[in-house]
Amino acid sequence: MVDYYKVLEVPRNADTNDIKKAYRKLALKWHPDKNPDRKEEADRRFKELSEAYEVLSDDKKRKIYDKYGKEGLMNGGSAHHHHYHHHTGPDMFANSFPG
Amino acid sequence: MAKTPAIGIDLGTNYSCVAVFQHGKVEIIANDQGNRTTPSYVAFTDTERLIGDAAKNQVNMNPSNTVFDAKRLFGRRFDDLPVQSDMNHWPFDVVSDSGKPKIKVDYKGESKYFSPEEISAMVLMKMKEIAEAYLGAHVSNAVVSVPALYNESQRQAIKDVGTISGLNVLRVISEPTAAAFAYGFDIRGQGDHGERNVLIFDLGGGALNVSVLTIEDCIFEVKSMAGDLHLGGEDFDIRLVNHFVREFKRRHRKDLSVNKRAMRRLRTACERAKRTLSTSTSASVEMESLFDGIDFYSTITRSRFEELNADLFRSTLEPVERALRDSKLDRGQVHDIVLVGGSTRIPKIQKLLQDFFGGKQLNKSVNPDEAVAYGAAVQAAILNGDRSEAVQDLLVLDVTPLSLGIESADGVMTTVIKRNTTIPTRQTQTLTTDSDNQSVVPVWVYEGEGAMTRDNNLLGKFWLTGIPPAPKGVPQIEVAFDVDANNFLNVWAVDKTGGEENTITVANHKERLSNAEIERMVKEAEGYKEDDRHKDRMGAKNTLSGDKIPEEDRKKILDKVNDAFNWLDTNQLREKEEFERKKEEMEVVCNPIIIRLYQTAGSAPGGASGCGPTIDEVN
Repeated sequence: MVDYYKVLEVPRNADTNDIKKAYRKLALKWHPDKNPDRKEEADRRFKELSEAYEVLSDDKKRKIYDKYGKEGLMNGGSAHHHHYHHHTGPDMFANSFPG
Repeated sequence: MAKTPAIGIDLGTNYSCVAVFQHGKVEIIANDQGNRTTPSYVAFTDTERLIGDAAKNQVNMNPSNTVFDAKRLFGRRFDDLPVQSDMNHWPFDVVSDSGKPKIKVDYKGESKYFSPEEISAMVLMKMKEIAEAYLGAHVSNAVVSVPALYNESQRQAIKDVGTISGLNVLRVISEPTAAAFAYGFDIRGQGDHGERNVLIFDLGGGALNVSVLTIEDCIFEVKSMAGDLHLGGEDFDIRLVNHFVREFKRRHRKDLSVNKRAMRRLRTACERAKRTLSTSTSASVEMESLFDGIDFYSTITRSRFEELNADLFRSTLEPVERALRDSKLDRGQVHDIVLVGGSTRIPKIQKLLQDFFGGKQLNKSVNPDEAVAYGAAVQAAILNGDRSEAVQDLLVLDVTPLSLGIESADGVMTTVIKRNTTIPTRQTQTLTTDSDNQSVVPVWVYEGEGAMTRDNNLLGKFWLTGIPPAPKGVPQIEVAFDVDANNFLNVWAVDKTGGEENTITVANHKERLSNAEIERMVKEAEGYKEDDRHKDRMGAKNTLSGDKIPEEDRKKILDKVNDAFNWLDTNQLREKEEFERKKEEMEVVCNPIIIRLYQTAGSAPGGASGCGPTIDEVN
């Protein structure tokens, strides 16, 4: 399980400003445009950074993440804990393909 | 550094601009006429193909074979509403080729059909040549800008245009993002400002782009983009044209709109009147023998112009509101409102924007015509691996302009990547089946903001097969969307219970040119270039050949020129006056011969053709 705090190299009690600063510093380091020699690794790292930043920079998402981890945010972040524990319950997958 | 620099190109609806970053700074490159922007016009005649200024200069003479606005046809179907409405205003013909729009022109006595990509490739090639003439080297890599709201197929189309014109497009950059680079460069010199929220308002000839960015140190983080792909100076011109057509009808009981040439002349005059109205409160339109031998003289005031365009001007604020909303910033949190694009010179537009931001001063520090090319050149330097201090730490974090998703049951759009998500990005959604023992699911990929897929744009589709029998709602099918830094999308689907996997590169969708088509166009583009070269050779030969210059005159000129060169070689340190005297000496000998030459050839020096019956229509 990825730890968003580890990805952004910040402590769990970091404030929004610390998180932003950490993200920008690491983005400059890992953006694929800045790493022509290791594009694939950079691409993967950058996507991880952005994913972590998207969650930790948003108070609501960060709270859900702190409480339930990444899975709490799956499928649009709409699953609250009631659905969250029932992985295969019909509520979990609100969206289905056309039959 | 032996590497040839990569160039930045702003391929505009009306005008294009090319720039290069070298020796630590950006230079805007002037074309062979000395202009820093080049009309995005291509003209075809019985004998030649003209691109840029030469094409625009003869537009009134040859309206139906002078193509402009090709960019408005990008990634569009012939039946699309904007295409149909634009066609009413174009003097050239657009026809449907199995649903794709093609421009029909007469070239060398034959009917020719060109895709908008081919026309744009001609303009792009011209920009490439302008850069090559300046750099004195072959250029192969470029960053090309596109409107913020360009969708995936339109961005792909730009890449194809690059291929046709012999350029490798390193990056398709959004216009306001490029403009932000130009602005960011500008404020960087003024000490540390900390974090700044910047709104770029870019209103050009064809499209409106708005983006909100946060700039700190050297990182440009795009927060949101919005815009209108069909709102710009062209639309304001059309309003003016319609106004004068009505006035002509009232005065003379004649409908001049049936005459393409008259309409084109009127449009050229309106474009000029519009420009005048940005600095004066009234402008006059004067055209001799406009239609049926009738001269047309009229004036228009700035306030009347504003009235004619009131709804269009007001609608420029909608994308501003949308971009702000998406950026989660209030109006008051925006530090700088930066104006880009020729149409931001219109005083009323400035006033509306300024009022919207509570009277805040607008920033006019970047050149509105050049900022996009400037920024594209900076991005080109970064991607080309320029290690100079000025660009080393610069980074732009761009976003997706449109939401991307798939169709789920009942035609609902299930968004996988929301618009304004930082790219590159990878996101997943898990879906399930809708009926018992369903073994196949369709994965239809869409872009757009509609809640239902029918309101969005289909990018591509595939089927995931081989799902093991299970009650509905049980299989877990993960769909992954991956968007790269060019905003190009790849989609995977995998059945996590069964293990079947299927992938689609959405790039290969219906609107796009096939590889075979691109290959054909590359070949043909080379052919046209060969024609041009032949034409240039013939032209040069004609002017220098003995047919036109009598032998003794030619000898006189050559002797005098050689004499001047010899003098220069041995007199490097003479005073300015002496150089001028030498130049005059040369002119005394050469000018009469050259003037005689042009008199016999029947055209003015420089090859400028007559641009219309009256002087006021030149330009």
